Amino acid sequence: MLNMPVDVIATFNVQGKIKPNYIRIEDEDHTLQTYKIENIIFSREEKYAGMPAIHFCCNIIRENCEQMIHLKFYVNTHHWVLVCDG
Amino acid sequence: MDKIIFHIDVNSAFLSWEAVYRLRIRGEKTDLREIPSAVAGDVKKRHGIILARSTPAKKYGVRTGDTISDALKLCPHLVMVPPHYDLYESCSEAMMEIIKEFSPCVEQYSVDEAFCDMTGTVGLYGSAVVAATLLKDKIYNELRFTVNVGISTNKILAKMASDFNKPNQVHTLFPEEIEKKMWKLPVGDLFFVGPATKRKLQALGIHTIGQLARTDPDILRAHFKKYGEVIHAFANGIDLSEVAAEAPPNKGYGNSTTIAFDVDDGSTAKMVLLSLAEKVCTRLRADKVAASVVAVSIVDIYFRHSSHQMTLISPTNITNEIYKASCRLFDQLWDGTPVRQLGIHTSKIVCGETYKQINLFDMNRYEKLSRLDETVDEIRERYGDDAVMRAIFLDGPIYHMAGGISPEKRKPKYKEGVSL
Repeated sequence: MLNMPVDVIATFNVQGKIKPNYIRIEDEDHTLQTYKIENIIFSREEKYAGMPAIHFCCNIIRENCEQMIHLKFYVNTHHWVLVCDG
Repeated sequence: MDKIIFHIDVNSAFLSWEAVYRLRIRGEKTDLREIPSAVAGDVKKRHGIILARSTPAKKYGVRTGDTISDALKLCPHLVMVPPHYDLYESCSEAMMEIIKEFSPCVEQYSVDEAFCDMTGTVGLYGSAVVAATLLKDKIYNELRFTVNVGISTNKILAKMASDFNKPNQVHTLFPEEIEKKMWKLPVGDLFFVGPATKRKLQALGIHTIGQLARTDPDILRAHFKKYGEVIHAFANGIDLSEVAAEAPPNKGYGNSTTIAFDVDDGSTAKMVLLSLAEKVCTRLRADKVAASVVAVSIVDIYFRHSSHQMTLISPTNITNEIYKASCRLFDQLWDGTPVRQLGIHTSKIVCGETYKQINLFDMNRYEKLSRLDETVDEIRERYGDDAVMRAIFLDGPIYHMAGGISPEKRKPKYKEGVSL
């Protein structure tokens, strides 16, 4: 499994803080699934390989079960990526 | 007071950077640094050499600069990945930013190396070794690749020190340590001593750096002229050059390209020259300079190198003018043997406003061409290099701005997953 690009709805507040609200991923049957991001556990800035990114660790509800996921927002390219295995 | 100079060197730079990218950005599981692997060119385009290799690949005897087929003979399961120059730039820039947090006086020596004058700032950290370790760890923690840091009182010793034991280490080589740490090394390890000099020195019975340091400089001068004095000084750890935070202006601008096929007709060769002229002149114009001397170089299919140059009536950076001069030079130089590589090099660079010697036959034309070039540059700046090109290059086998790093080397095609 590789990191996967995902669609995200996010809010940007007046302080410049970014908060992902919803993500949309293609499942195994190639249908799009939308998940609400319940809460953000932590976020931190990274710059691995010189590419600035904001790493969000957050919870979603999937099949009535809370699941922790890791998302990264790449500041230069504006991509959102779902990290496999955090 | 003695100076404190750091030399920072990324451990197998291109390979480390690709490894970090694959692990951290793409989410791959194998670390290229832990398996026999290499960054290599494209055999089909005749760029088939090893650009960087991992430490496990080194154990098989794979060296930077080997051809891919030689490397595969040494290590049949060598994992090869294409180059990725956009990534190298971003890694390099990010590293320089971190180094500049430690001292204002930083000289970028190459894409993966830098000198840093810590004389005034080392006190902030206690000792030089503490500062260097902090710097090395900070680079690793933030960017996830390892570097070696060499510490000394001048550039040559710092550079020698960073080369001692790899990866991820800090070494000192202060003048009092030269005898113990540097003199026992083989003479080929000395900075500035290449394979040819090494052979000559060995013929003179000089095998270690220590032997070179103790050799009478007159003997070296007799064999190597001025260069003999330089390596003698280096072997004794003497180097008076300063860390230059600002790069000196370019003395010349040139580009060359190895063509994917052998060129046996003049018109195709001239197309390549046009694309090279386009590239060189764009660079000249970007730096607001003009060149007075143009040279064309040819490498034929037998790897024979030849070149020819001329001085222009007045300095220029107009693509058409450099192209015309290159064509004249090419016609005078070329003997008809199929060509493998072509290059255009310009020198005698003139800065700022230049005065043009007007020619009776093409008056006004230069002003028009110059305005055209300016407009084309602006369009390319905004919409990318491929936004506008000469019609002759449409659907042709030759890229319209040959030379330097071609677009496919900037960003390789990954099969799946994210690539940024």
